[in-house]
Amino acid sequence: MLNRRWLMIGVVWLVGVVALLLIQGDGSGAQVSFMIFGDPAEIAAYEGLVAAFHEQHPDTRVELIKVADQADYRARLAADFAGGTPPDVMLINYRRMAQFADAGVLEALQPYVEASSVINLDEFYENSIEPFYWDGVLQCIPQNLSSLVVFYNRDLFDVAGIPYPQMGWTWDDFLATAEALTIDADGDGTPEQYGLGIEPSMIRLMPFIWGNGGDVVDFYEQPTGLTMFREDAVTAYLWFVALSTEHGVVPNRVQEQAQDSENRFMNGTTAMFLNSRRGVPTYRGITGFTWDAAALPVGPAGPMGILHADAYCMAAAAKDKSAAWRFIEFANSIEGQTLVARSGRTVPSLRAVAESPAFLDPNAAPANSRVFLDTIPAIRALPRMVYWVDIELIFSEEIERAFYGEAEPLEALRVAGRRAIEYMELEVLRWRGP
Amino acid sequence: MFSRTLLIPFGVGALALIVLPAIVTVILAFTLYDAQTAPIWRGNQNFIDLFVIDPIFPIAARNTLIFTAVATPLRVLGALGLALLLSPERRGARLYRSGAFLPAIVPEIAYALAWVWVLNPVYGPLNQILGAFGLPQPAWLGSPDTALSGLVLAGAFQLGEGMVILIAGLKAVPNDLYRAASVDGAGRWARFWRITLPLIQPWLAVLLIRDLLWAAQGTFTLTRVMTLGGPYYSTLLMPLYIYEEAFDRFRFGLGAAATVLLVMAAAAATVLAFIALRGWGFDDEA
Repeated sequence: MLNRRWLMIGVVWLVGVVALLLIQGDGSGAQVSFMIFGDPAEIAAYEGLVAAFHEQHPDTRVELIKVADQADYRARLAADFAGGTPPDVMLINYRRMAQFADAGVLEALQPYVEASSVINLDEFYENSIEPFYWDGVLQCIPQNLSSLVVFYNRDLFDVAGIPYPQMGWTWDDFLATAEALTIDADGDGTPEQYGLGIEPSMIRLMPFIWGNGGDVVDFYEQPTGLTMFREDAVTAYLWFVALSTEHGVVPNRVQEQAQDSENRFMNGTTAMFLNSRRGVPTYRGITGFTWDAAALPVGPAGPMGILHADAYCMAAAAKDKSAAWRFIEFANSIEGQTLVARSGRTVPSLRAVAESPAFLDPNAAPANSRVFLDTIPAIRALPRMVYWVDIELIFSEEIERAFYGEAEPLEALRVAGRRAIEYMELEVLRWRGP
Repeated sequence: MFSRTLLIPFGVGALALIVLPAIVTVILAFTLYDAQTAPIWRGNQNFIDLFVIDPIFPIAARNTLIFTAVATPLRVLGALGLALLLSPERRGARLYRSGAFLPAIVPEIAYALAWVWVLNPVYGPLNQILGAFGLPQPAWLGSPDTALSGLVLAGAFQLGEGMVILIAGLKAVPNDLYRAASVDGAGRWARFWRITLPLIQPWLAVLLIRDLLWAAQGTFTLTRVMTLGGPYYSTLLMPLYIYEEAFDRFRFGLGAAATVLLVMAAAAATVLAFIALRGWGFDDEA
């Protein structure tokens, strides 16, 4: 009797598990996995995108794989590629695309685009598309192109009686503004309010290098050497480092450790903060003051911006490539990009969406969203190199040391050069071939 | 027979999650592997690269050695001190033991985040207290000179499990021995040195080896959450170095080679600890 009862319990349990698996798996129709990272606002935008796709393509299910931050995202991608189970569709930054494309793990999307009646590359901003070519073949379709801009606290400018940053302001204007907005009221040597917050890294420094006529490598297609030691680049680098070491308009290492610049900007104790469009969904939560966005100051060589762009890429190992393409095509249609643009996170790569109220919503901060479009002509991309990530990391580490006064600036630059040369040589070997 | 059957799930799990990955790691240590294309055999070149070419590996190895050498004894001595203090059944002892055990049950990420706050150079309670006494207030995680000390400090307060092990050890020491020693005129220190310490030696040995292995291999969450290895590699310990090499820079071969070296070093340290402790303590067969 007892055995029979246990048998019944076992059967009911088994039926339940099988039913659950059937409900969850719903094996009918095509399946596409799509991996993303981002804060809750960004993830909500992609959930909306997937839901809209399901409405139009009920025969294709997209499974959204959510990863919290960019570092975890990279680790997850590496693990999934190593395990032979990469997501079918993923977002990849252009600075990292080369290492995937060179390994041949991405499905080139050019043939799909050529056969598509939805995607027309002429409708995209050219400088968003160009970095996603590898060996002359388009690999991925960009969802966005943001430049670096100056987010600023309008209230602090008003209190100080300083005019808001205008298009065409110069490096000198920028520094003078930052100095005027750095306030040490009690005279203890530690400002209570900083004029500026900026991450000391390669990607933040580069627009200033370009803005002074310098560059990082000699040739972008087939680089043979680093050019960070030429006069124009060095001058811009020293000017950038001096913002901290000489002018003290940014928090020093200890103050930054105590509270980072982005948080200082958000709680109203830093007047200007340099970031790309990705900060906007978070800043829209600011209630204590009004803020806006302005263009980067113009250097001696003219206005310069730096490209921030992520693209939809398809894994070469994707099981159902036609279904994966259907999703990429939808995400980069006017409807798809409009849905993501409304989150505030992206500057759409499609001109029509970028110029639409979905992006230029007059009721959503920043009031001057148009600055992201006005600065597009000046946006430049970093080099497409397989070993770029290593070179960028090394320079960022040394820039940080110099910025916080832990190393003599020129010595830090020399150390960066010595460390990076190994990767530069590997890059040259790669494109020259054996 | 039935009991052996029960071991099958564990055996399968150990094989799939420990033995096979360990074998794969050893093989990968001799390859060039980026997780995207097939591994290429390169003999012992990864090991040569680690010592000759890569400037970061020696820094991570040195940091790990320093961290292990300082954090391990601190954790063992801290656990011993707490156990001696809290093992007598006096009023409130259970409450204090629970308090001391608390960090052991807090999720490691939450524990690390709490220490980021404690060590905040401006707003953190530690520097507030130091300042109140007119003492210097280090930058802790904000300076390459003090960041590793901050990490050691955070690691040194995970004492709960060690304390519980040693309290069990202390309870196992027969009271008769203390009484007899007192009758013979032994003072408090002599009783501790001649009776307590030798009799809890097996527990101390277990704890020492456990903490040694933790300091060498178990610091990933602390470093990832608290410092990301910075400033300028000053807190880069081996587990984070291996993770970054493999999963951030896609150099799985180098990561695997560093893992093999780390496991070998930890094994050697464990053997040395065994040898060092063998002649010390209580042996009732002597």
